[in-house]
Amino acid sequence: MLIAIAASADATPEVGFSVLAALLLFIAASVWLGSLAQKAMEKKDFMQGFFLGNRGLGAWALALTATVQSGGTFMGFPSMVYSFGWIVTVWIGSYMIVPLTGFAVVGKRLAQLSRQTNAVTVPDLLRERFGDARVGLLASLLIMTFLSFTMFAQFKAGATIMKHAWPGSGPLALSEDFDSSTKDAGSADVVTLAGWLPESPKYYIGLLVFSVTVVGYTLIGGFLASVWTDLFQSVMMVIGVMLLVCLAVPMAGGLEQASQNAIAATSPSIAFGPGYSTDGREFLTPGLALSMFFVWVFAGFASPASMVRVMAAQNTEVMRKSIFLLSCYNCLIYIPLIMTCIAARTLLPNLKKPDEVIPLLSLKVTEGFPFETGQFVSGLIMAAPFGAIMASVSCFVLVIASGLVEDIYAKYINRNATEAQLRRATTISMVAVGFVAILANLNPPKYLQALVVLSGSAGAATFIAPVLMACYWRRATALGALAGMLSGFLVYFGIYSCGWAQNWATANPKLAIAGRILSFLGPDPLIGPTGLFRPYYILGVDPIIWGLAASILGGIGVSLLTRPLSPELVKRFFDIRPATPQVQN
Amino acid sequence: MTHENEHPLLKSARKEAIAALSIWLVVVTYCVWYCSTYGYMHPDRARYPSSRDPASLTYIFGFPDWIFWGIVIPWLVCTIVSGLFAFFFMKDEDLDN
Repeated sequence: MLIAIAASADATPEVGFSVLAALLLFIAASVWLGSLAQKAMEKKDFMQGFFLGNRGLGAWALALTATVQSGGTFMGFPSMVYSFGWIVTVWIGSYMIVPLTGFAVVGKRLAQLSRQTNAVTVPDLLRERFGDARVGLLASLLIMTFLSFTMFAQFKAGATIMKHAWPGSGPLALSEDFDSSTKDAGSADVVTLAGWLPESPKYYIGLLVFSVTVVGYTLIGGFLASVWTDLFQSVMMVIGVMLLVCLAVPMAGGLEQASQNAIAATSPSIAFGPGYSTDGREFLTPGLALSMFFVWVFAGFASPASMVRVMAAQNTEVMRKSIFLLSCYNCLIYIPLIMTCIAARTLLPNLKKPDEVIPLLSLKVTEGFPFETGQFVSGLIMAAPFGAIMASVSCFVLVIASGLVEDIYAKYINRNATEAQLRRATTISMVAVGFVAILANLNPPKYLQALVVLSGSAGAATFIAPVLMACYWRRATALGALAGMLSGFLVYFGIYSCGWAQNWATANPKLAIAGRILSFLGPDPLIGPTGLFRPYYILGVDPIIWGLAASILGGIGVSLLTRPLSPELVKRFFDIRPATPQVQN
Repeated sequence: MTHENEHPLLKSARKEAIAALSIWLVVVTYCVWYCSTYGYMHPDRARYPSSRDPASLTYIFGFPDWIFWGIVIPWLVCTIVSGLFAFFFMKDEDLDN
């Protein structure tokens, strides 16, 4: 998910070199882990090693990286808590059960199917399971589309963090709606390079450094590099959160006092649902709360990035341990972070940009530290979201490249590719992806971020039916899988884009077409988060509910209407293999 | 729809999937119900009939009471249940056969 940084001229403390030093440390550590990963990849089979780590993921790696959640934690979550109050606990609440559902619903079967089909990617697995190349192709195209948008936005975020990390830029703000056309009030070098490159040179240097680093270490170390850096970043995050909560809450006078201060500063609604609001929007209605209990859970097990991790698990014992490890980890991250941000209302009472809460809080709580360690510690805390971005980008670059190489190159362009050719194709794909990402971010579009938010839910709505059917339903057919994917995807996007139309019409009420749109869709219901790219709420719930339903109905309905798969194919995946094993590919 | 030749992993995976989703269903129902009933304060009492009086808010270990009973306690219970599920209910299966 996207984090972008904006410089603020109002707030006082300067970051100095600490953040830049911390970022460079992260980068160096990641490159080092990448080279370790390369050595660890046994030279057995290039594809299995590079894209799946030879299925050797242990419990810690699986636990802390499988649900790819780290990328989103520092995103808008702290600023949401600061802005809306305790109700955000309900918004994030379903994470209490995500570890269990994340592994127990499809984990074992995906790991087994992945071995039975020798699949390295999710489209691979679906294609083999349903015996139809079209299923794999559609899955591949959809995955690459979702992930590309997310990924391009992350490149922009990474570059922007680096730009603002240069000393003298003023403190960092973790802003969701960073407007790239605003000039940094504090920076002196707002020199635009040529007419059509609107950003400062620092941004482009940051973009280059970020891209080269992430694509670089992922290229060197493959899947394992991506997993290990993600693991490293997850550990840094929990350390950061623990530091913050142990410093900030006592400073605010304890948790109860912090809440009371927050109420005094705003209104009692900060301690209740639907949340504190300055503009009459209800942040989390019961309908939206219900929706969020679907979003995190289903995106947690049905999104492509999570599925790939599970496919790489060593064995089922590792999965079981991961459930427990991840449950404990979640307890240490989310609730403490909420406590911290409630305390922030006491320590930083008049924050104009709530997105600045974590950076400014880190500086504030480390003020008393001796010998300048405070600056360094706060630099590490502020660099944690950077690590999260790097981890997400690495994962997405890998999944996209695996799609390009395994599902397209090896299947359609060069069927008998040698290992050397596969390696070259992989290198070319990854470099190409990085290059396209840089191009996409030369003139960074402003609202790619909205598409980012969609991608987890969109992935879930698209893949829920195919994945469940692949794992558990004999009667599922290839056309059913295709239908499940298309109906989920189209319904989800269809409903979501009605929201864009509605918001646009609300913002431009004078146009005639706006009036027609609003009379058809209805006026803005004033629920949900602020921002221009809200979804359209049917019956007050998030589109994911309709997307999931459409996917399941489409998948089941079309499967029952079409001819079943051949019994041999079904037997291969559902029954015990006969004593004399048939020849596998 | 059980077939005699069904792979044992499939049997246990299916059972565990149903169990996990059932637990999820219980969690959703309880948390959303509890928080909707005890956690909302809204001037529009027609929409929120159980709207709370802000003066009635109490704190348990620093958390607002409805957050404590509606999210924090369920979270701890889920962590324990997840552990029990993982170590006593889920079966290990050979993935390669």
